Amino acid sequence: MAEQKEKILKIENLDISFKTTAGMVHAIRGVDIDLYKGETVAIVGESGSGKSVTMKAAMGILAKNATVNAGSIRFTYTHADGQTETVEILEKDKKWIRKHINGKRISMVFQDPMTSLDPTMNIGKQIMEGMIWHYKTKKEDAWKRAVELLREVGIEEPEKRMKNYPHQLSGGMRQRVVIAIALACDPDLLICDEPTTALDVTIQAKILELIKKIQEERGISVIYITHDLGVVAKVADYVNVMYAGKIVEKGTINEIYYDPRHPYTWGLLSAMPDLDTADERLYTIPGSPPNLLHEKQGDAFAPRNKFALDVDDKADPPMFKISDTHYAATWLLDPRAPKVEMPAELRARIERMKKGAGIDGSEL
Amino acid sequence: MAVNYNQEPILKVDGLKQYFKVSNSFTVKAVDDVSFEIYPGETYGLVGESGSGKSTIGRSVIRLYDPTAGKILFEGKDISGKMSKDTQKLLRNDMQMIFQDPMASLNPRKKVEDIIGEGLDIHHKFANAAERDQMVKAILKKVGLAPEHATRYPHQFSGGQRQRVGIARVLIMNPKLIIADECISALDVSIQAQVVNLMKDIQEETGTAYLFIAHDLSMVKYISDRIGVLHLGHLLETGTTEEIFNHPVHPYTRSLLSAIPSPNPVVEKKRVAESYDYKTSGIDYTKGTKHLVEGSHYVRCTDEEFTEWMKKAPLVYD
Repeated sequence: MAEQKEKILKIENLDISFKTTAGMVHAIRGVDIDLYKGETVAIVGESGSGKSVTMKAAMGILAKNATVNAGSIRFTYTHADGQTETVEILEKDKKWIRKHINGKRISMVFQDPMTSLDPTMNIGKQIMEGMIWHYKTKKEDAWKRAVELLREVGIEEPEKRMKNYPHQLSGGMRQRVVIAIALACDPDLLICDEPTTALDVTIQAKILELIKKIQEERGISVIYITHDLGVVAKVADYVNVMYAGKIVEKGTINEIYYDPRHPYTWGLLSAMPDLDTADERLYTIPGSPPNLLHEKQGDAFAPRNKFALDVDDKADPPMFKISDTHYAATWLLDPRAPKVEMPAELRARIERMKKGAGIDGSEL
Repeated sequence: MAVNYNQEPILKVDGLKQYFKVSNSFTVKAVDDVSFEIYPGETYGLVGESGSGKSTIGRSVIRLYDPTAGKILFEGKDISGKMSKDTQKLLRNDMQMIFQDPMASLNPRKKVEDIIGEGLDIHHKFANAAERDQMVKAILKKVGLAPEHATRYPHQFSGGQRQRVGIARVLIMNPKLIIADECISALDVSIQAQVVNLMKDIQEETGTAYLFIAHDLSMVKYISDRIGVLHLGHLLETGTTEEIFNHPVHPYTRSLLSAIPSPNPVVEKKRVAESYDYKTSGIDYTKGTKHLVEGSHYVRCTDEEFTEWMKKAPLVYD
């Protein structure tokens, strides 16, 4: 099975710092991500954990003060004639990426549709823009295609809507338009950066279902950047949990949700109240995410980790292998470490979840 | 903490209407005929999508807006019309508000001690500077900050810490009712849990009531005793948390509840949310009247709708 899968994106040992007035901020400290064709990977983490920076690097849109210290990002795409080509994004200059990759091969859906759309341009023009620029599509053809796209993303009376401006649309509709723009050039990879954070729950469910439907129809790969574990559960095949610029746990969705190994993942899962949490208090991760300006020796999560060992202050834990797909960076998995179990409440909840999923899927 | 529902409610909102006149021919009815009450020590959750008027209700109740019609009774005193000096003083002391964005709601040019102490300064609640200092430091400790934080500025704090400052400046007035307007939605997941726990602890200690306005239903369920569901300015359904979650009646409530993502991938992947569209549903909110479902559970609809909805199967969260 593994040989047949086509690798779309391979990020290896990525390491990025930002030069700020306060000093160097080491934002990304060795990130590896693999993405195969047609699959969905979610990157989960709190703000400042480096999830957006990683994806910006993949699109070649890092800020000017960023320095890539090490690593490689290899992106494979298919030409119109069916040939595949692999490029090293970090070696290409911005102009080349802008012309050949951004919007055409990789497109991005941003968090806030209000700020990612141009308020002075009608939405039809905004959808057509990419096609005309990248493929030199004739205007009439681009128009037809844009109407089709609007219909595809579930906007009624698309012909009329083409002339509307962003402020005339509701938040959910705007995000649909942004998705239509992202799909306009038939990308191989869609990156969704918190696509539903600014939307209401009811609309959130619709947008996620839409992205899923489009993904199945077109066979594109999707990367989700989010901090909402409910969203991840709905969409992702693989999950990468990021903390302070490192991936601390990665695995298939079921491995992460039903068998989490890293204390940070435990914390994230328990901090979210599910609908039958009866506990009087929510479990919390004490403290707040670290300031990457001051790099600390050892595991960055140790100060917030009640399961931290002495070794955590001295050395950064490597990735320990749990299964072929499941890895976690915590010393607790070292054979020499004392045996530590996840918190009892989380254990109980996972048991409940497994039961709900296993028996008939209707109870949870 | 068990809430005593036999006493007088601390806040009673009756037929509140809040209209905004946009032009001579167009008026936005942001809140239309909403009634509810909150009892001492209780948490009342207001949920609804953006634009449903939940924040407007909070702002009308604390009189940041002048209500168009309706009556608001706070501690038995009418605060909806022109208030006497005493009533105004009571309102400004005993009702406080925590805002959504801790970045925007704290004055960047003031030190934390002055932000927290502002209410004390205005109402002359201290005898001398030492006492004020002591009060500020005690409150800082209560919300989990250190006394040395008092002389810092808001930008020196993280988001969660800033929201703690927002809570501290509210608590120092010893309010009886706190309006929390989306006070955790701007925070990270791990920090949200910290702030919610803090709010619960404070309620246990001081017995204050909360009007908790939010769109995150799992958090609302966790913190609230009773819930009101709002859509397009109408209060569609209200009841205890169990009543609403176990037996939602209104189609809008059902669509809201079925849209909550659950952190269980196998179940979540198969689930399709119930959809609801006001325009095509054929429901006219203005025609509805209050119908009793059970206990304190009410739904707003017409008689025919009520009989039809009551027949529907209970919602399963899968």
